[in-house]
Amino acid sequence: MKRKIKVIFKMPMMIILIIILLFFTPFAIYSPGENRNRGVVTALGIDRLGSEYEISLLTFIPTANQSYQEKSSVISGKGASVAEAVYNAQIAMGRAVGLAHAKTTVVNEDLLNEDVTSTIDYLSRVASLPENTVFICTNKSAKEMLESSHDLVNNLGLKLEQIVGYNASNLYVTDTSLEAFYKGYYSPTKSSLIGYLTIEDDANKSEENSEISQAQNTSEGQSEGTQGSSNSSSGSSGAQGKHIVNQGEAVLLKEGKKVAHLDVDQLNGINLLNPKSVNQIVTIDDVEKNGQTLSMQYKIKTKKTLITTKFENNVPIFVAHLILGVELVEINGTHENLKVNTEFSEVSKEIADKIEAKIKEQFTASLKVLRECDTDVIGLARTFFFNNRKEFMKFVEELGGKEEVDKFIDYVVFKLNTVIQPD
Amino acid sequence: MSYFNVEKKVKEVKTALNESVDFSYRYFKRGNQKLAFIYLKSIIDGQLFSSAVYFPLQTFEGELSIDKLKNDILKAIDIKEVKEMDIIKEVLDGRVVVVTNFSKKLLSIDLLKFPTRAPTEPPTSPVIQGPREGFVEDMQTNITLLRRRLKSKDLVIDVLRVGSQTQTKVCITYLKGIANKKIVKEVTDKIKKIKTDGVLDSYNILVYLENRPESLFKQVGNTEKPDIVTSKLLEGKVAVIVDNSPIVLTIPFIFIEDLQNSNDYYTNHHYSSFVRVIRLLGLLIALIAPGFYLALQLYHYNILPLNFLITIADTTQGLPFTPFLEILFIFLLFQILYEVSLRLPSYLGLATSVVGALILGDTGVKAGLISPPGVIIVALSKIALYTIPEQAPQITVLQLLFIVLGGSLGLIGLISGLVYIINYLNNYDSFCTPYLAPYSPRIPQDLKDAILVDPIYFQRYRPKSFSPEKKERV
Amino acid sequence: MNKINVRQTGVIIVMCIFANKILLMPSLMYEQTSADSIFVLITLFLLDLAMLPIFIWLKNSYPDKKFYDILKDKLGVVITKIIYLALLCFFFFKCLLVFSITYVYFKQQIYHNEFIFMALIAFLPVINHAVLCGVRTFARTIQLFFGIVIAGFIICLIISLFTPIAAPYFFVSNASQFFSSLYNHVFSFGDFIILFLIMDRIEIKKGQAKHLYFYSLFAMFLVVTLFYLFYAKYQITAFMHNNALADLLVFSVQFNAIGRLDIIAMLTIMFITLFQMEIFNYAFCDCFVNIFPLLNKNYSVVVFDVLFCILYYVFIGRYETMVTSTLFWLPYLAIVINYILPLVMVLILIIRRRGEKKNKSNL
Repeated sequence: MKRKIKVIFKMPMMIILIIILLFFTPFAIYSPGENRNRGVVTALGIDRLGSEYEISLLTFIPTANQSYQEKSSVISGKGASVAEAVYNAQIAMGRAVGLAHAKTTVVNEDLLNEDVTSTIDYLSRVASLPENTVFICTNKSAKEMLESSHDLVNNLGLKLEQIVGYNASNLYVTDTSLEAFYKGYYSPTKSSLIGYLTIEDDANKSEENSEISQAQNTSEGQSEGTQGSSNSSSGSSGAQGKHIVNQGEAVLLKEGKKVAHLDVDQLNGINLLNPKSVNQIVTIDDVEKNGQTLSMQYKIKTKKTLITTKFENNVPIFVAHLILGVELVEINGTHENLKVNTEFSEVSKEIADKIEAKIKEQFTASLKVLRECDTDVIGLARTFFFNNRKEFMKFVEELGGKEEVDKFIDYVVFKLNTVIQPD
Repeated sequence: MSYFNVEKKVKEVKTALNESVDFSYRYFKRGNQKLAFIYLKSIIDGQLFSSAVYFPLQTFEGELSIDKLKNDILKAIDIKEVKEMDIIKEVLDGRVVVVTNFSKKLLSIDLLKFPTRAPTEPPTSPVIQGPREGFVEDMQTNITLLRRRLKSKDLVIDVLRVGSQTQTKVCITYLKGIANKKIVKEVTDKIKKIKTDGVLDSYNILVYLENRPESLFKQVGNTEKPDIVTSKLLEGKVAVIVDNSPIVLTIPFIFIEDLQNSNDYYTNHHYSSFVRVIRLLGLLIALIAPGFYLALQLYHYNILPLNFLITIADTTQGLPFTPFLEILFIFLLFQILYEVSLRLPSYLGLATSVVGALILGDTGVKAGLISPPGVIIVALSKIALYTIPEQAPQITVLQLLFIVLGGSLGLIGLISGLVYIINYLNNYDSFCTPYLAPYSPRIPQDLKDAILVDPIYFQRYRPKSFSPEKKERV
Repeated sequence: MNKINVRQTGVIIVMCIFANKILLMPSLMYEQTSADSIFVLITLFLLDLAMLPIFIWLKNSYPDKKFYDILKDKLGVVITKIIYLALLCFFFFKCLLVFSITYVYFKQQIYHNEFIFMALIAFLPVINHAVLCGVRTFARTIQLFFGIVIAGFIICLIISLFTPIAAPYFFVSNASQFFSSLYNHVFSFGDFIILFLIMDRIEIKKGQAKHLYFYSLFAMFLVVTLFYLFYAKYQITAFMHNNALADLLVFSVQFNAIGRLDIIAMLTIMFITLFQMEIFNYAFCDCFVNIFPLLNKNYSVVVFDVLFCILYYVFIGRYETMVTSTLFWLPYLAIVINYILPLVMVLILIIRRRGEKKNKSNL
């Protein structure tokens, strides 16, 4: 035995192992594991209630079962600051908050009336909220949004980030993550774009055009209730009679504050120059064919863009050549005209002109909004900086220096050359 | 002139052998000439003694002389002259010693015979294709098996005796001009220096050959297959054959050898490369998996993808054990089952496996004592362990170490442990050979038969790692 | 024969080149010089690379001599010991910085709480063991893991390409910012100094020196690519992301379509950190043993550990202090070691060559 002890002390690594066994292993033996110590938050919402903030956390609740279904509950906390609200939510939850798996951050529209970065700063800087989290805004409270989404997950297996993800890859000019928001926020033009989802009461349900149908959760067994704290209130009751509506809308932010609300047509207009944004439907009316007046809908299937920029007489000119491959998808007219569908697969000059006029109209309308708000979310300044740096810098200097670069969009002349062809 | 008092000599030997029950002798007398045959009847071939020794002697007419006996009369294959002092040793070796009163010379006739088993396929290294013969306990048979494969004049077989009581024969075998002389000398010196009363198996020699006997890691290769030993001798290694052991030791040994299997050389090289990669993967899974799973559960829940986290959280919810104890419990359960199934007779072993797998595992999960992911992870690592069965004892100990490291320190503990082990292995050269060659240090020439295998016709040179004297194979 | 070959020397250089540059430095540099940081980086790399021919020249001139002995012969014991003391501090702080940055990264990413005891007990014994085993041992270990580390590094770079990137803005900072950034980050360079310390352990056969250039340029290329991709990916928000290599994987517009692949970055960083610490610890101990010849390597390891723990506790919770020190007062030390010392070596070599010529003409 004595010899063995001597051998052990001759090997320093053995001593290290003994130290580990003595000082660390007992903790490991008693530790119940992170997944039992932490509340795994999959989405969080921030609301402003008067002078207080309310943080709502869509938290995964582990339940001993073999079905491996995600059971979640909304737990919330209030406080004078976001940090305090998170702390209170943590108390309500009885576990430490783990934001590593948070995929969505929802804020109330009212929060965007002031610089939203001050609100989310704590979460992204201290609480390690991942920057790839989807960042969206809603018309009602974020808590209601989470409660509705919680029903969505439990009933349809659909998550908020999937809805927003679809929008991001099909509608928005950029993605709508926290990182993208910061990118816009810290850019010279200080403008960014985030997604917008509406919560509607059931009474309005029939009026909506693209709502997500979901079974309302009335069963007590499926709803996760309040977690027993004065500063937490949640559950299906709050969400009853409410549902999430995705109309593909977005909010335009300038210096972290909301400056405009964009509908899907305006977004389509902004996206005209974005080659990745396809599948938009363009409706043209009053097409004359065989003496009939028809309304036709074309889908943009492919988009190729070639962009050049120049300064002519100190005027920035943005020239975009667009080649759009379109497909006729629907004709609205009398029954006998439907026979000519195949004939219309060819895009006649009249139709091409009408499509061109329509998309230019959309683009002009969107541009107007962007100009009014001085929000260059389509990266005009960046493109000119790259292509014509010298002239651009000179122009910006004349505008009043770097601080005024967000006004650059007002002076840009757009020339769009479009070629519309059948896909 | 009488050289020996035959009766007295017999009596002396009998006394020296403590009047052993199998001690035997036979006298032959013709006129004044007297002979005695001294032997142990338990280890000599009695029939051969009658036909090759006693019968020719009886039928011989004329005066006997020691030369006549040696060259004409006795019909045995191996007859040699021995010194008086070696009588006991020769008798114990299963030889018949002839003592005469007409010569000072003594004869020793090899009539050794004891029960041996025929060479069969060794259970530790079965092959799908390729030779199936395995070594047996009889050293002579083992040498025969080697000789049959290696008809080379350069094959050297040096015999040493080890063990003051057992006097076990230990053969140092190598190819002269190929094996590195330094290694041969080092091995010979180490065996000569062994001071022990008995050698029962090659393992008793193995521990003396290791440079770091206190180390967990294997430093000497061992195999039961003559084709493997032959190929290792051709690479320039030294083989040590120990009498009464079917395991032949090969020196030097490097870690990669355990990834190699005789099957690899008798199948397509692409497939061989693939299975070696699988074995390496198996080794890593066996080593790291339980510790890593534990680290994830205890410290790094956020590395887990959400779906996987949900599965783990749901299944571990309500378990009475903490994650560390759960893994330790399953680990020990598997180890106990393994030990039991190894020791029990095969018909009982099957029953134990059924009890272990079905009742303990399945019921344990259903009763909420252990979680399915925990069982899967430990079972996976235990199964993966046997992709390299030769390393199983070492890896089992290391698994436990990594469970402690993963559980106590998390991911940094696991990685630090891994780097420490590699540093440790890199720090010693077994018989002038880097243990982790040909990867660390990188020896490009030897990579042809490492994890990825080149066809045999590309392997023109012997592995540089073993410093062979003749580098080219042809 | 405890020598290492050229390839092993090469992998040691690669680890030194990665040191301090793959996590925090890209974002720190971006704050000063935006995307022009790449030019700062290239400039500092070129200055470093100039040290390599000096080393090879010195090695060819004194094939088996220790660096300490060369300095002692030419500059005397006192100056040599002062130089070695500076080197000791240089490597010690480098080691401390590497550890701090990695520690903070792991604390943010996977440990969530303070785990300093765990980190010290996991890292220090392993690096100490490597140092006691000698340069050949850890060079072999690095060589074994080299493929894994490089593969991990390259995978991180490749995965970042699956998300949209745009060319960063160049030439936006002025000369003053450029030179200020050069000065501030000089401490993270000087990657070839280690070669001088282990020059008697390196075996360079004829014509093999080119391998050293290859390894150095390869590592530099990887670091420059990392900087470029990092800036291209994050652009204006690059200053917010303190863990460049890992952050290349974390952010993805496909909403985590790539899952938690940042484990690749974590493992790569963990290996790189351990190897860098082994190298720096070895350098520290080598300097210590030369300064205090009566004390052996075991003492040097103990001194290193004690100093490391004490200084870490001084800096704990004051990560900013550590980083600020490397940006402001440690560059003085770095300039002396990175540039003045090699110049001294050049002078020594020139004097030696002249001496040789004189001897030849006298004969």
